[in-house]
Amino acid sequence: MPGSLENLIEALRCLPSVGPKSAQRMAYYLLQRERPGAQRLVDALTAALSRIRHCQRCNTFTEDECCERCSSAKRDPSLLCVVEMPVDLNMMEQTHAFNGLYYVLMGRLSPLDGIGPKELKLERLLERACDGAVKEVIMATNFTNEGEATAHYLSDLLHTRGIKVSRMARGLPVGGELEFTDAGTIAQAFYERRDY
Amino acid sequence: MSGRQRVDGQTAFILHSYAYSETSLIIDVFSRDFGRLPLLARGARRPRSAMRGVLQAFQPLELAWFGAGEVRTLARAEWLGGMPMLGGTALLLGYYLNELLMKLLPREDAHAALFNAYATTLQSLAQSRNGSVSATTHLRQFEKALLRELGYGMVLEREAVTGEAVLPDRLYHYLIERGPVLTAANHEVAGDQIQGQTIRGKTLLDLARDDYADPRTLSESKLLMRMLINHYLAGQALQSRRVFLELQEL
Ligand SMILES: [Zn+2]
Repeated sequence: MPGSLENLIEALRCLPSVGPKSAQRMAYYLLQRERPGAQRLVDALTAALSRIRHCQRCNTFTEDECCERCSSAKRDPSLLCVVEMPVDLNMMEQTHAFNGLYYVLMGRLSPLDGIGPKELKLERLLERACDGAVKEVIMATNFTNEGEATAHYLSDLLHTRGIKVSRMARGLPVGGELEFTDAGTIAQAFYERRDY
Repeated sequence: MSGRQRVDGQTAFILHSYAYSETSLIIDVFSRDFGRLPLLARGARRPRSAMRGVLQAFQPLELAWFGAGEVRTLARAEWLGGMPMLGGTALLLGYYLNELLMKLLPREDAHAALFNAYATTLQSLAQSRNGSVSATTHLRQFEKALLRELGYGMVLEREAVTGEAVLPDRLYHYLIERGPVLTAANHEVAGDQIQGQTIRGKTLLDLARDDYADPRTLSESKLLMRMLINHYLAGQALQSRRVFLELQEL
């Protein structure tokens, strides 16, 4: 096999869940059937690599020092919502319920995968939340064990810095009927029931 | 055990899960009768998968699987319930338990007693609020049960060399795989085998009875268990311990 082909296959393996076989298939496909597509891929990758960076304030991907949302005067700077990934931010935006700013962790604490506070750069979030304008931090990490661990430790760290922290409520979905809801959700909604 | 087989109605906990392809998961499970084994959960990462919310660590599940070879296929997973989700410090302690099992327990070795100890420990962690003495008690009990099940049971009430009863007001060293020896007898016994700090006889006796009311017992027994567990880990670092320490530093 020519060296450059071997290199390409090896390089494609950096993609998530791409093993040696899929990498080989992709390489052959690109070289045989999709040369213009391969060129577009090269151009897009080069452009993205040189232009995309993390927003200084919210950590999400942007082409600017500070993203559009973080620079907007229409947003309430006293509220900071912490999410795991950019897709979570998009979901929060779709609710039209929140007009504050965000911080995107780009992950979650996951001790068994070796992802701790250093890997997540948690000190950047602490710095961001202590800018003086933030009055309340809303934890909107996932309701998985990892999301819970992340929310718990961040709240501890923010509390000691005198910042009010809240956590998204969990329970039955809107319009949800007990009969059609999974047992885990109902159980947790029961454990976390509130005065009414 | 070889050949194809189907296992049904097996109580198990998920210790950890890894993404496998775009839509599937490999779960590392600890089951009551088959010990620790990996299972392929096909389609479990699909957005509408019924398994998606069910395959969570620290929750008792009822599993069915089939197949031969190293990785069997998960056929069914049901929520058994009765255990609130772990929160706060208890969650980090839960990761520690899971990591110990993943690193020390060989695959497909049934340990029903250890399984029960694990379930009891999780239940207590779920009910104890944040790093209390009771959480520590359960942690030490679990570590002892783990060592016992692995065949490294601890000698706590008898002196290793003379076989004499451990006395509460004397000082001891703990020799790995042997037990406590009086500090004065060290040089005669084992020379360079001596590791770690000196331990009060009272700590050893308290540890044997799981009585951690004495703060010195609490700190000495923690160091002793850490020394032993590190020994059996044989150089493998515990990620959960590292993350825990890094979080304390922030
Ligand atoms: Zn931004």
